[in-house]
Formats: sequence, C-alpha cells, structure tokens
Amino acid sequence: MTFQTVMDPDRLAAFVDGELSPEEAAEVVMHLADHPGDQAYVDDLMAANAALSQAFDAPLHEPAPEHIRETIMGPVEVNKVVPFRRRPVAMAGAGLALAATVALAAVILPQMQEGSSDNVLALGPVAQNTALDRVLGILPSGTPKTLESGKEIMIMATLPVEGGFCREVEVIDDAADRLDFGIACHNTDGWTVEVTLSEPLSSADTEDGFVTASSAEMQSLQPFLNRLGAGTPLDAEAEADAIAQGWSR
Amino acid sequence: MSNQFKKDLVDLVPRLRRFALSLAGNQADADDLVQSACVKALKNEAQFRPGTRMDSWMYRIIQTLWIDDRRRAKTRGTMVDAEDAGLSDGGRAARLPEDRMMLDQAKTAMSGLEENQRTVLSLVAIEGLSYKETADVLDLPIGTVMSRLSRARAALLPQLGMMKGPMQ
Repeated sequence: MTFQTVMDPDRLAAFVDGELSPEEAAEVVMHLADHPGDQAYVDDLMAANAALSQAFDAPLHEPAPEHIRETIMGPVEVNKVVPFRRRPVAMAGAGLALAATVALAAVILPQMQEGSSDNVLALGPVAQNTALDRVLGILPSGTPKTLESGKEIMIMATLPVEGGFCREVEVIDDAADRLDFGIACHNTDGWTVEVTLSEPLSSADTEDGFVTASSAEMQSLQPFLNRLGAGTPLDAEAEADAIAQGWSR
Repeated sequence: MSNQFKKDLVDLVPRLRRFALSLAGNQADADDLVQSACVKALKNEAQFRPGTRMDSWMYRIIQTLWIDDRRRAKTRGTMVDAEDAGLSDGGRAARLPEDRMMLDQAKTAMSGLEENQRTVLSLVAIEGLSYKETADVLDLPIGTVMSRLSRARAALLPQLGMMKGPMQ
C-alpha cells in the first residue's frame, strides 16, 4: 500500500533517527496523536531500524577473531602465554543439586579471602559497565582478554545453577606475580563476585601452559558449588545461548 | 606504533565487523574487509587525529575499501552467504519464528539495496550515527545523506512486509 503522509516523510524519518531537537520532536509527537497514518509510518521505520540492528548484531557478541587481533597487536609471543588454570575434573562433574541457593558469602573460606583485595576481582556486586562486568556478560569461556591495566583475564567455565548461572573467572597479574580466581553469579541486579582466592603466580605449577588443577584451594570450592546446585559446565553453544539471552533462564 | 592506538582498534573490532557485515552480506568477506581496514589504519596511524572519533575514521576506511572492492568485482554481485543471510548467530538473537523471518528479510533487503544507499542506511540505522556524522564519514552533504536514506527506506520497507511508505 502506497500512501501519502501528512507530515514531510523526511521529517518523520528524522524524528525516528533522533535528529530533531526536543521541541521539534514534541511537535511531531503531538502531530502523530492525530494522524494514525503518519504514526503507522513512524512505527514501520522504527521496526525496520530495530530489525536491521538485530539482523547484523552477531559480531557484537563474539570476540575479535584471532587473525584480526593478530593483525593489530602482532602475534602472541610464546613466552607471554598466560598460565591460566585448567578446570579441575571434579568440578566439571559437579551436578547434584542440593538445597536451595544460600547466602554465598557465608560459605567463603577464610583462606580464600586472604590476598583477594584485587580491584578486578573484588568480592561483592560488580559495578555495571566496568571491564569485569563486560567480560562476565559477553566473553566466551577460554578466550583470554587483556585489560587496560595489563592484567589478563579469562572465563574458565560457565555453570548452570539453580535459578541462574555462575562463571568461573581467573585474573593473571604478571607485574604483581599474582593469580586470582573467582566465581561470579548472575542475579536480577547483575553480577556478584561470590568467592575469590589468590596465590602467587610464581608458586603455581604449570602444565602445558596451564596451572594444574589439583590444588587444595580449588578442590575446596566443590562444596560451595554443590550448595549452588551447580551442574555440568555449559558447552560453547549453550554458553553462547545464555550470553545472547542476557543470562535469563 | 602507539599501543593505546592498537588497543582502541581491537576494542572497535566487533562494531567494525558489524558494519562490514551489513555492507558485504557475509561474515567471511566482512572479516577480510575489517582486516584490510586495520592494516590500512595501522599504516596510516599518523593521519588519525587524537581526540577525534576513531570509529568514524575506521568506518570511512572500511567504506572506501569496500567501494574499491566492489568496483574491481563489479560483475560478481554481492555475495550473500546462505548461512549468514539466514541466521549467522544460529538463531540466538531471534527466538520466535516471525522474528527470524524478519531478520532474514532484513539481511536480504539490505543486500538488494544500491551500495551507496546501503552504506548510509547502515551507518544511520545500525551504527547509530547522526546524519552529520554520516555525512562526515562519507564526505557528502547532509542533504545527500537524507535523500539516500529516504530512497533506501522506500526500497526496504516493502521487503520487510511493511507499507510502501509515502509517495515521493
């Protein structure tokens, strides 16, 4: 159906595109109230903008491809491989749902808090739009990312828990010779770092470029995850789904 | 070479890939485009004025490279990968069938637009640039941006199952 708008269609388009001043936009809004045909055209323009934006937004949810990243930053030097920790097998098998989620801070072991005052992985709610918030929100597991501070961060795994998701995250601070590990869980207010532990990077045993997973600290997290009812870590596809859906279940 | 410049460029990559995807119609060509643009940007870092918008500068490089590529391959036509034209994100972005259909239609409709209209529509409707910013990126008068935008939408809306819009 082709029709004639009452108002100049370019002005209606400018309204949709946010090009008008507040006063001009208010005039258009008043006009639309009395002209349903123009309102329908505006609705179509808005729907088209939304469809276009959504149709091409997949790259926003993906990390930069390695070959493009290397084009910009240069190849990763072997001696700079970050010794991220390999997930313990026992944790990967955690699947027994126990009691309802409890106040997680209550189960944090004293030794886990020691030395965990790092400003990247601080216990408590994660402020929105911070680097950690973005990493937890969109970074796939197993993809190292360099923060502005020079620290390296990587999501180790995403775990389904009762009512939501938790993500294991590790931060390597070469300058401070420090490795921080934490578990952050998503709730209606966003992400909260529920537990952290730290150790000197130089004391960590490495194997094939990873820190071995047999440390007592790591194993001590098992009861904590059981309390959450943590299931088997999500595979890449399921994790991508969770990211795309904004971590809603 | 400034390390900060490189980091800023890496941070921009997701948006550059989105813009390139909207132009090229498939992710493989889009990534080639982004990679070439990054090479060019690194080579011409001295031309970038600190304090100005790097995204606009990069959009311009990508658009220029894409136009050059289109001129070289004039007879090839726009390659729209079947997977990309459908749902490059595996359908995660659209859960309802009607949403998926709309996204399919949006991609197909974009690939059918004239190149200069597609570029303007992408910068305004997808990248969220103002008309003035779009005009600056493309080195065009605002009036030309608006007229290309108008023609692009007149062609696009019917393909999205919407009304044909106002008579021009």
